Amino acid sequence: MALQDVTCAFLKRCSVRNGHYHRVWTAQCRHASNNVEGRQESQELESPGFSSGEDAGQGVGRFDPAAVARKRGRKLPPSRYQFRSPRYYRGPLHPHQPLPPSDPASREFEAGPFSLPRLEQTYHDTFASDYMVMAYQHHPPGYVAPQKGARLRPWTGDSPYYKNRPLRGPRGGDVLKLLRKPITFRNIPQLSGVTVHTMVKGAIDDSAHLHVMGMVLQAITGVRAESHSAKRSVAGFGIRAGQHLSLTCKLEGETMYHFLSKLVDVVLPKIKDWQGVKGSTGDSSGHLALGLQPKDVVLFPEVEVNYDMYPPKMIAGLHIVIHTSATNDSDARVLLQQIGLPFHGKLID
Amino acid sequence: MNAAPQSARRIASANNAFFVDTVCFSCRNRLSQQSRRHAATAAAVSDPPPATSPQASSRAAAPIIAKGPRKAYRLMAAPVLSRPPLLTRDLNSFEKAFYLYQKRLNERLAMPFSRYFYYNKGTPADPEWKRKLQARKTPSRDIGIYDAYGNEGWNDEVLVGDRTGERESVVEALIRDAEGKSIVEESEKDQGAVTAGDAQLGEGQRRETTKIEVERPSSRETEADRSGDVKSLNRKLDRTLYLLVKNHEGRWRFPEDRVYGRENLHQAAERILIQSCGINMNTWLVGNHPIGHHAHHYPSQKPIVSKISANALVGTSKESEKEEFGEKLFFMKARIMAGQPDLGSNAYGLQEWAWLAKEEVDGRVGRSYWASVKNMLVER
Repeated sequence: MALQDVTCAFLKRCSVRNGHYHRVWTAQCRHASNNVEGRQESQELESPGFSSGEDAGQGVGRFDPAAVARKRGRKLPPSRYQFRSPRYYRGPLHPHQPLPPSDPASREFEAGPFSLPRLEQTYHDTFASDYMVMAYQHHPPGYVAPQKGARLRPWTGDSPYYKNRPLRGPRGGDVLKLLRKPITFRNIPQLSGVTVHTMVKGAIDDSAHLHVMGMVLQAITGVRAESHSAKRSVAGFGIRAGQHLSLTCKLEGETMYHFLSKLVDVVLPKIKDWQGVKGSTGDSSGHLALGLQPKDVVLFPEVEVNYDMYPPKMIAGLHIVIHTSATNDSDARVLLQQIGLPFHGKLID
Repeated sequence: MNAAPQSARRIASANNAFFVDTVCFSCRNRLSQQSRRHAATAAAVSDPPPATSPQASSRAAAPIIAKGPRKAYRLMAAPVLSRPPLLTRDLNSFEKAFYLYQKRLNERLAMPFSRYFYYNKGTPADPEWKRKLQARKTPSRDIGIYDAYGNEGWNDEVLVGDRTGERESVVEALIRDAEGKSIVEESEKDQGAVTAGDAQLGEGQRRETTKIEVERPSSRETEADRSGDVKSLNRKLDRTLYLLVKNHEGRWRFPEDRVYGRENLHQAAERILIQSCGINMNTWLVGNHPIGHHAHHYPSQKPIVSKISANALVGTSKESEKEEFGEKLFFMKARIMAGQPDLGSNAYGLQEWAWLAKEEVDGRVGRSYWASVKNMLVER
């Protein structure tokens, strides 16, 4: 179209990059890549291009960046290979901007993921569609969902003090429960995280117990444990405020799937006379917890392999809280039963 | 679901033949209960329905009412028995390259490996570990030979065509490591098993110690894959397989039958599985709701009078005669854990059966059947 041609030609004339002044300007800039030796080295390299498999095979044998470095003999100026992302953010106009956390050279970069977990794949291939079929609720055409009234009720009566008083709690209790939305393809309960927590009683007297459990949690989960201090002194437990007595590991994504599949397939089947997870577990919001005794913590393969390296009787038990995106306990339980976690006793929501 | 209340009530009236025809008995009951409940709580609910909007009035002006007698259809159920994938899928080249690169970056950023926490000084495991580490320069076994802390730690990217990140090389490296060899064959002296000095022959003479044979994992491609045995459940372990049967007309479909008496779809599907494929299958029917349907109307609107005989397995079924205008088939999802179909004593004259992936089902069923079925079958 005519207007497009005009625009393109106009832009070409106005572009700085191809102009005479740009070339003059860049020639005057000193840059390591403009050095004569640098140019020789860059000419050694192959011309980059997206080559097909056959061409790549020929180039692979010849291209050896480590050999180029060894052949050079002399040391490069540090600016050629050293770079540190700025430590502090000094505003959008500063010449040195911090890199995005996804860049490997950034200070906030976290490596991962390293694999596609089996449990995640099985969830998306098998469990999710089965869950949808099981949780489907049929409504006939023309169905209108009943309107739920206001759950926080106002104070009604003669007393003048009722005016502007904060609303009363819902009927049947003081806690506003999560509303359960119907489960559709956009809304299937998923595993959102796992928290592994241990409170080490032995650390009251000897902090070595806490270090041992920190190593155990790191070995089991693959994540560095965080320690927490007591907020208040409780004479009954024998703890003082400020004492570091407990550790937690927060697992999400790949680490969570690996931990859960290890737990369900390797550790729990080895526990002697294990009945299953208690049916009353749950916080009524879709997060279920189970506990492991010290003798069961040792069954994790990462601890079992060098069990004799740990001081005797310093391995404590732990709690495992499984967070799901379900809004009530029964939905979360269905998801965990699909994964393979058995429940025993009366199922209480 | 989004219909305005007025038109819904008009549809819901007992005189409307279209409503009586398309909506089942239990749903009609529930709707009438609801309309009664809504009328009672209309005073309690403060917000009035938007009756004055132009959309509602246009919908109210043209309600869907059909005139004519009620049409009966043959109600059928069909279990869609599937074997879910038993293996994870193959990674594509981008994923392999990405995971390898992330592992190598992790090597550079993570704390160094605490060797004496795992290998005690003085034990035979210690020099073995030292030898292996010298060969591959890193404690990791699946990132090839790479020293993250050395002078060439900057060279963390592998070249195009490198096989380090491939599944075969990772498995090979892990097995070699378990067998006591270095992960990559470096020199002649390292080939074969671990060697030790022989006490009888002398210090210089070496004898081969007992070989540690680690069991190799089975191949992802099984015998059934190579021979194309469609009757085997060991074929295509990374895909979902569906059970198709060839009926007496020679058509390939899911096993199907009429719903008799007062049985529901779940019970009908279970009965059909037993009556068609025998009892030697450990199956599980998922939920009570169908996952798809297929409607077939008899041509030129001519009904067929069909004689329904009582089914021996359904207590509430009776002999009757019905004029049917077509068939409505509902598919029920089922999973198989163990066993195989046995058409020896099937009640429907089925000739053959096969376990097929989604694209293979496409090749065998009819076009209109495939159009009804394709969206309920999974790609993997």
